[in-house]
Amino acid sequence: MSFIRRCLDKLGIGKGERSAPSDPESLRTAFQARYHNFKLLLSANNKALQIMSELEDALKGNRPFGMSFIRANCTAVSVNVFRMVKCMDDLAPGRYKDLFERFREIQASITEELSREREPETGPFVLDLGSMDKTHADEAGNKMANLGEIRNRLGLRVPCGFTVTSHAYREFMRAGDLQTEIDRLLQSSPAEEMDQLFSLSGQIQQLIIRSPIPEELEEAIRSAYRRLEEMEGQGVKISMRSSALGEDSSDTSFAGQYRSELNVSAENIIEAYKEVAASKYSLQAIIYRLNKGIPDENIDMCVGCMSMVNAVAGGVVYSKNPLNVRDDRVFIHSVWGLPKSVVDGSVSADLFAVSRSEPHQVVERHISEKSQKFVCYPDEGVCRLEITGEVSSTASLSDAAALELAEIALRIEDHYNGPQDIEWALDENGNMFILQCRPLRQTDATSKNGHLSARLPAGEVLFSGGMAASAGAGCGPIFVVRKESDSLLFPRGAVLVVKQALPRWAALLSRAAALIADQGTSAGHLANVAREFRVPALFGVGNALELLETGRTVTVDADGLRIYEGRIDSLLSESDDRRSLMEGSPVFETLKKVSEKIVPLHLIDPDSTDFRPLRCRTFHDITRLCHENSVKEMFSFGKDHHFSEKASKQLVCEIPMQWWVLNLDDGFREDVAGKFVHLDNIASIPMLALWKGIIAVPWEGPPPVDSKGFMSILLEASSNPALDPSMPSPYGNRNYFMISRNFCSLSSRFGFHFSTIEALVGERANENYISFGFKGGAADAARRTRRARFVAEILEEFDFRCELNDDGVMARIEGFDEELMKEKLEILGYLIIHTRQLDMVMSNDASCRHHKTKLLGDIATVILESPLDSGPVVQE
Amino acid sequence: MDNFSVLIVDDEVEFLETLVKRLRKRKIKVEGVTGGESALRSLKEIPVDIVVLDVKMPGMGGLETLREIKRAYPLIEVIMLTGHANMEVAMEGMDLGAFDYLMKPTDIDDLLYKIQDAYKRKCLNEKSALEETKGASK
Repeated sequence: MSFIRRCLDKLGIGKGERSAPSDPESLRTAFQARYHNFKLLLSANNKALQIMSELEDALKGNRPFGMSFIRANCTAVSVNVFRMVKCMDDLAPGRYKDLFERFREIQASITEELSREREPETGPFVLDLGSMDKTHADEAGNKMANLGEIRNRLGLRVPCGFTVTSHAYREFMRAGDLQTEIDRLLQSSPAEEMDQLFSLSGQIQQLIIRSPIPEELEEAIRSAYRRLEEMEGQGVKISMRSSALGEDSSDTSFAGQYRSELNVSAENIIEAYKEVAASKYSLQAIIYRLNKGIPDENIDMCVGCMSMVNAVAGGVVYSKNPLNVRDDRVFIHSVWGLPKSVVDGSVSADLFAVSRSEPHQVVERHISEKSQKFVCYPDEGVCRLEITGEVSSTASLSDAAALELAEIALRIEDHYNGPQDIEWALDENGNMFILQCRPLRQTDATSKNGHLSARLPAGEVLFSGGMAASAGAGCGPIFVVRKESDSLLFPRGAVLVVKQALPRWAALLSRAAALIADQGTSAGHLANVAREFRVPALFGVGNALELLETGRTVTVDADGLRIYEGRIDSLLSESDDRRSLMEGSPVFETLKKVSEKIVPLHLIDPDSTDFRPLRCRTFHDITRLCHENSVKEMFSFGKDHHFSEKASKQLVCEIPMQWWVLNLDDGFREDVAGKFVHLDNIASIPMLALWKGIIAVPWEGPPPVDSKGFMSILLEASSNPALDPSMPSPYGNRNYFMISRNFCSLSSRFGFHFSTIEALVGERANENYISFGFKGGAADAARRTRRARFVAEILEEFDFRCELNDDGVMARIEGFDEELMKEKLEILGYLIIHTRQLDMVMSNDASCRHHKTKLLGDIATVILESPLDSGPVVQE
Repeated sequence: MDNFSVLIVDDEVEFLETLVKRLRKRKIKVEGVTGGESALRSLKEIPVDIVVLDVKMPGMGGLETLREIKRAYPLIEVIMLTGHANMEVAMEGMDLGAFDYLMKPTDIDDLLYKIQDAYKRKCLNEKSALEETKGASK
């Protein structure tokens, strides 16, 4: 830094005052440099304000965002605010030194919020299941910690195995800077559309799978496997399941969002480990975290490895009814073969309901047609087999086994003191294994169910039946997804129709109005996630794909088990309770904390003694201070240097007011030697547009004031010296234009209020902007405030974004093309003239309405109706 | 106005090639290199007005390269363009005299405007420097 400073000093850059140039050419150059600085300051100001409004928008909690959104915006806003501070220092060297200090402090406090990293704890890469219980959740993830708990504390039968821990995962990510590279990919890829997220997910997973794992880690896994071989026999095959931190908690199940590898042989353990670890970045997991506001960095992928149970039957037990809090029966979903097809939702399952009270009894039994099953290949992997003949319609579970399972479920429920969702497998010797247990999320659809079924809505019923996998009703156009590529086109708000309720469709749920599946059960992962996102879901429809064609609008009533043609409002009004999942989430809270240091504005009144660098508490304060003072610094140049060319000229015009114009660059058609400039010598596009509005309708003079209004002015004037027009102020009682061809800023005191307009209008449409600030007045606070609201209301009619602050208004508009921006400036020009002294007559709302009608009428007839290319705007 | 030359430094070859191609389509004189060392070598051979510099690169990193460029050629303006949203790195870059710190993905036109602004600054700095020497010799 200091070296560069010295270099620049040697070159005479940035220290205009010290080497005060005196000849016209040097003054001209110095002024050009100032003007360029000023322009850079304005563009940084705009960028900073734009980011702040984006942060505010995100804080409404209506759309998902991740940590990378927060980091990128915090970095960008810091850079731009810093640029402003630097520009300010260039404009007035040394005078705003305190700003650097304030900036550093605010920036440091933001950095602190963002870098609340967990301590880099160290610990074993591998934990044996035999030595684990629920206290290991931070190292092994909930899933494996729970299994350790019920195995070692409850004595339930769980396969032998071990967990590759969070320490191992972090070591893997640290090695070769893998995490840095992943963060870079996440940061720099556009990820607004599904297909972009899809390729991003693929890229990151590939990166992880391609990276070698550290030798120590590999050795730890291999030796854990050798210990398992000693217990279970040589060459034992294992299942490898994700057990991520935060997975399987009651609020965030992550059900089925990560990968599992079944029946893995010794030689492929490391590859499978990397694949499961990589599934942290599966498409559905990325979207799930985004929608739930879970920071990526909080998730370490632990991997649970257990000897494979070659199940003859398997499935899921719910210790209570997930869709009805009053139903305390135990529900068992069961299929032939591995339990995979239940949780995948790929096959219809047998359903048993067992009474809670002892002696337990099977009180309900639905035997489905089970056409397929998954079994282990002898060497590695699993395969799907068709089931033919009688077996397919035979119960996959005996009543005795069902009762045994129900008892196990109730024991686990009792131990954890809450309903449970349990995956089980029965081996060929009749041994019942527990493969997973986690808290069961219950949603209550019954109250609605009760009265809804009482009065069925009118409407054409397209389908009736199936099973509710997630409560509620939703409406939208049908969108059938048959294959992965269809999902990339899935429109927001559509009804998702799929053949099988596969976990991977979860990626679409945050955008779906409802979900319909031909096959699948309420015990599957997809149903779990649908309930979490409160997306109504109807499963087991059988032939939805044939019945429902893409584009047709339907209403899905999961509670009433019906699909209706068109929109049925009476169903929808009742179930419109999809809350924001972001609010209260860790990512959301982080945004809230950092925004507090960025967005609020405390420096509102430039005339106040608090309007100085050391009073800046947020980035917004700094931008406000820099902006306000940069305008002043620009003005002072001509005067300070006795340089007439860059001093302001009085405008020769027909309006009986004093207007002064400072040419920043190319705002005049030709140079002006004297003290006056004529209107036809003005080349500034925004100034000419503004001027057109100023002269559009002659001002009728001050509005007639009643005695109360007049009294209020006298009172205010005697108590507020700033209102005394003879008071010296930076601008006096005059109106100042600073212009270049595409830029114009107007600072004016009209009567007793102060207004500023700043506009950049040119070919770079995305850089075009107009900002308008208005403050004060002569009447009492109530009237002034009413006028501020009055002005804001009119501006909002013309698409300005307005912010009210007592008797002040700040308004902005940006990004439109030249013609439209000119029109907006004409409206502003008209308004600043015709709202003069209106505060005095703003005694009530009726008077506001009266004047509003008049002003809007003028704008409509005189400004918007007049052809835009007439008037004094002259193109070169 | 657009009569300036640009050097892009980025280790991501695909990104580098695309950016160079797109800027050339806009009639910008532009070259690309994939690392800090080769950037410094290239600057010795072919002077440029603006350098667009990645932050995270193998070998000589972006900040180190920035420091070297600013030491040897204080008038060259450097724009950081990176996928790493890291506030501390950004601030260090700004302190070292970077013109701006942009994050990928960035709109090509926005980048071009930045380059133009940076070039304008460079011209003004050169002009001031020239007048300073003139003033001194008087």
